[in-house]
Amino acid sequence: MSENFVERARYLCSLGGAAATVTALPGGIPILHSASGCAGNFAWTQNGGSGLQVGGYCGGLTVPSSNVQETEVVFGGEDRLREQITSTLKVMQGGLYVVLTGCVPEVIGDDIFAVVNDFREEGAPIIGAVTGGFRGDSYWGYDLVLQALVKDYLDKGLAKVKGRVNLWGVVPYMDPFWRGNLEGARHLLELLGLEVNSFFTPTDTLEGIREAGSAQLNIVLSDLYGQGAAALFKEKHGTPFVTTSLPIGVSASEAFLRQVGAALELDSELVQRVIDREKRHYYQILEPLTDCYNDLDLQRYAVVVGDANYAVALTRFLADDLGWLPVLTVVTDRIHENGQPAIAARVEQLASGFSTNVVFESDASQVLGHLNQVWPRAAGQKYYNAFSPAFVVGSSLDRELALQIGAPHLSVSFPVANRAVLDRGYTGFRGGLRLAEDVFGQIVANR
Amino acid sequence: MSYFDNKVPPKREDRLNTVIAHQDSICGLARKGKGGKSCLIDDGERGFTQGTICLLLPALAMLNSLPDNVVLLHSAVGCGSCTHSQNANVRMGSNARRGKAQDGIWLSTALDETDVISGGEDKLERAIIEADRRYRPASITIVAGCVPGIIGDDIDGVAQRLQPQVSAKLLPVHCEGFKTKIWATAYDAVYHTIGRNLLEEKGVTEHTPQDELEVLREQERLARTVNLMNVSSMGRVDEQELERLLVSLGLEVNVFPVFAHPDSFVKATRAALSISTCPTHDDYFLGYLEERFNVPSIIKHMPIGIENTSLWLRDVAARFGFEEQAERLIAAEEAELKEALEEFRPLFQGKKVFVSAGEFRALATARLLQEVGLEVVGIRSFHHDHFAEVEYEKLAREAKTDYVVDIANVQPFEEANLLNRLKPDLFLGHANGNMTASKLGIPTHVIYNTGLAYIGYRGVYELARRLHRQLLNPAYNRNLAENLRLPYADSWYQAEPFSYLNTRGRSVNE
Repeated sequence: MSENFVERARYLCSLGGAAATVTALPGGIPILHSASGCAGNFAWTQNGGSGLQVGGYCGGLTVPSSNVQETEVVFGGEDRLREQITSTLKVMQGGLYVVLTGCVPEVIGDDIFAVVNDFREEGAPIIGAVTGGFRGDSYWGYDLVLQALVKDYLDKGLAKVKGRVNLWGVVPYMDPFWRGNLEGARHLLELLGLEVNSFFTPTDTLEGIREAGSAQLNIVLSDLYGQGAAALFKEKHGTPFVTTSLPIGVSASEAFLRQVGAALELDSELVQRVIDREKRHYYQILEPLTDCYNDLDLQRYAVVVGDANYAVALTRFLADDLGWLPVLTVVTDRIHENGQPAIAARVEQLASGFSTNVVFESDASQVLGHLNQVWPRAAGQKYYNAFSPAFVVGSSLDRELALQIGAPHLSVSFPVANRAVLDRGYTGFRGGLRLAEDVFGQIVANR
Repeated sequence: MSYFDNKVPPKREDRLNTVIAHQDSICGLARKGKGGKSCLIDDGERGFTQGTICLLLPALAMLNSLPDNVVLLHSAVGCGSCTHSQNANVRMGSNARRGKAQDGIWLSTALDETDVISGGEDKLERAIIEADRRYRPASITIVAGCVPGIIGDDIDGVAQRLQPQVSAKLLPVHCEGFKTKIWATAYDAVYHTIGRNLLEEKGVTEHTPQDELEVLREQERLARTVNLMNVSSMGRVDEQELERLLVSLGLEVNVFPVFAHPDSFVKATRAALSISTCPTHDDYFLGYLEERFNVPSIIKHMPIGIENTSLWLRDVAARFGFEEQAERLIAAEEAELKEALEEFRPLFQGKKVFVSAGEFRALATARLLQEVGLEVVGIRSFHHDHFAEVEYEKLAREAKTDYVVDIANVQPFEEANLLNRLKPDLFLGHANGNMTASKLGIPTHVIYNTGLAYIGYRGVYELARRLHRQLLNPAYNRNLAENLRLPYADSWYQAEPFSYLNTRGRSVNE
């Protein structure tokens, strides 16, 4: 990983993540306080990376934006923001307006809260978040929006309701499968009889989000994304949180249900009954693949390249559910050294006993180098234990690697330029079946 | 002194008096063109605005296409992530030109809070050195976004300092988004660095004439070699159409600048003529080629539509004395095309269309739509400058009634209001700019897509064929309209579409 640059960053800036997150909220209207090009940059990025999903109710080039210019850089942009909020409240129909700052107003020192609070005092449903691009990546932008909701939007002092949970950690548009993954995880929790507030699915509402403080537990499906907000939530609303990995497939879903069950002290027999039933269904569906899995020799070596959620969850799925050999797991987020062990630990002791090599590398062009370290290239010997047959699960940027090593490839982690994704998801027992369909489908595509 | 002697090119609002916020009509703009200068239009400011793009996006669309070039963004990490979609064009374009789909390489110095306080020049220096060693590119384009523009990083100084230490040619490009609201300044920003860094022949000595006949042949070849200026919104299929037409006049064609190798730009200085395909795109550079290297140029008419393609060809032919061949070619092409278009005319008859794009593209396409039998009822041009006056005149001449022209850098809220009133049967819009019309249930078609043909005679036919297809079954958009709503308040549709034009600064004081 370079110390000096990021190659083809697999994310946007914090403003980009924040804007996408607000768009994904029910009735959410982002108001960018930024230079004019930020919104367009986000639309173009989603167009190329989010599985053909751009915007939603109010996203893309539709988002209100103060479009600050040199005048504001010289004289400050707070007046312009005030004007933009006033007009936005007249023109745009939304349930929640969220002012998000870009680099320019932050560098020049605009105080957005001074402006936003005036409108709040008049009763407008509006909050603000400081999300300037230099503060971090789009995953952090997601976290910042959740923090703003926790701090300024959620009702305070609500009594906790037994069985009510909030579900976080899947980042809209940055995970092209966000809708399906949230639905899948939500479904798992509902199997346990829980009432789930997932914020971004069609069944979620602003009223529900307002009452999120009544949750008994927050469940964060990520070691990174949403962690800041979960900690703040605990401080402000007293709800504890549990961190899990993204539950992709049968083994991970089983572990997920047990972990949540334990955290909520649910009846362990109930949890076991759910797991037994779901596994029975899962294997009943998997059963007829058995002939072809064997006859076509569908076991593969694999390289997994993905963000902190996907890299470990996909590795676990391939090793523990499919019985594959993922020898290299590339985590593409630029994670501080302190944060790396927790993520690596996710794949250190897999149930299958198979062990992968975890590297932290953001740059697609460097992955082959890492693979060569892990799996030495042929040196002209007659008998060579080749890295073949192989498969690459990654992003569309990792097609090049797949070509180089002659392996089929599936794009799952951002950017996904070459798949159309609507509500497909890989979480849960059924999500594992979807993923199995997709990887095996790639292998037999020319059959 | 030339603009090219400065580090930073001028912005278009200063150089061309370009405007982006103006309400007018087709006849109004045509009259202004005839009667005076467009600079009589004062630019407005909207009190409500939606996000658009900045010059960084079109600049990157060009820079990412250059083979053997690495784009190094000097900004916060998000700037340039638009390349994720532009990369599809890079892959398709390299496949069409070189037989292999290749990803672009773009990097970011990802300026953080510390850099904002202490400056990012050191980081940029290290990034340049590492990029040079890792990728061994022919060139590194160092592209500045907003942050270095505010904190005062000097990318030109860094490039100058480091050039002796690296093998790649270092090309600084200024794309500080907040500094210009006219994103067409992007083309000037890219051409500026090309003009300053890639046009001088380095280390090439005079060729000794080995063979006098060879020398004469080369001179003769150069005398009929033209620079065909492409644009990043143009696919290989469109270039091939124009090459076909120019070659049938007996010309040789160099295609610049999109997908041209950085080492090949020097050839542009040796051609007999440069031909623009989009005056919005090229005037800054072609003026420089003329002034500095005596390469004359034609910068008029975009070869979209029948009349415009023929006018474009005639202008080129006249420079070489090929008028007769040109007339024969044009007559044959037009006859064949018009006959082929007959199939589509019945469905187009009486259908109204609204067009939205960069000014020249919107106007030339509108003219094409008139020619195939559609009625233009509204145009939204992303900006306005004097180059387009002649196009407004062409359109006004053929207009059945006077219709609205909205000069706006997208601003879909005005569009939603206008479309709701005009109720057109068809909408043509820019990439990422068709969703408003779609959700209103109007059949839509993208006004450029580099995989599709739009330009020349072939482009007329292919576009008509695609529009015909859209109109045959517009169920997709109709279903959207029946089931989705746009995020505008109901009261907005009752308000004047231009209510927020020139209100900036007022509402606060009211």
